[in-house]
Amino acid sequence: MTDRICVGAITGSFGVKGEARVKSFCAEPAAIGDYGPLTTKDGQTSYSLTITRPVKGGFAVRLSGVKTKEQADALRGTTLHAPREALPALPDDEFYHADLIGLTAVETGGEELGQVHAVHNHGGGDLLELRQKGRTGTALVPFTQGIVPTVDLASGRIVIDPPEGLLDDA
Amino acid sequence: MSRSVWKGPFVDAFVLKKAEKARESGRNEVIKIWSRRSTILPQFVGLTFGVYNGKKHIPVNITEDMIGQKFGEYSPTRTYYGHAADKKAKRK
Repeated sequence: MTDRICVGAITGSFGVKGEARVKSFCAEPAAIGDYGPLTTKDGQTSYSLTITRPVKGGFAVRLSGVKTKEQADALRGTTLHAPREALPALPDDEFYHADLIGLTAVETGGEELGQVHAVHNHGGGDLLELRQKGRTGTALVPFTQGIVPTVDLASGRIVIDPPEGLLDDA
Repeated sequence: MSRSVWKGPFVDAFVLKKAEKARESGRNEVIKIWSRRSTILPQFVGLTFGVYNGKKHIPVNITEDMIGQKFGEYSPTRTYYGHAADKKAKRK
């Protein structure tokens, strides 16, 4: 589990009064303003972010400490990270993608299958993309009670009971 | 132009055959199909199909609300890796 999560990026300045243009990676884009002060990737600089208006491709925001267009322009490309604790708690059987990515997948017998590389949703439910151990390519596993009976975030592993033919494709 | 109602939904015959066989065997398996154009029928609900996207078979658990759609709609041919950010996954 990561302690800081990338929730957006500064894409440049907006206007001439020191506002910045921010692209949100959140599920609900405007939620980028809800996670308190956001830090840069290295965690050295922290910005309080206030959304002023939606603009094409993101939001115009006011960042604490950024007063001029030049300062905002200099921040272009900076990613904004929120602390993991700032995300609200979820009900049972609901997980943040950030928590699932990186978990070790083991079979019901205890054999290690690989690691969760990404989480997708193509409209037919969530799919975990596994980078399989000792194989090239990845395998997709439906994120259902039947196929993924155990998700143990504390120990960083998930148990997978794959149906026949599910992991053959990689 | 939409398809005439009298024809019924289009399904490749081999998809029907494979689904029937899987249901009869009662085994928990992924039914690999290449037919993205076939319509999802009510008798497919509960089965897991591996729908080919040109590279690999994408597993699709068929649920009631998918009936009438095509298999290909659930197996995109392009991959996009976005940022995880605060996105959530629900275990059904």
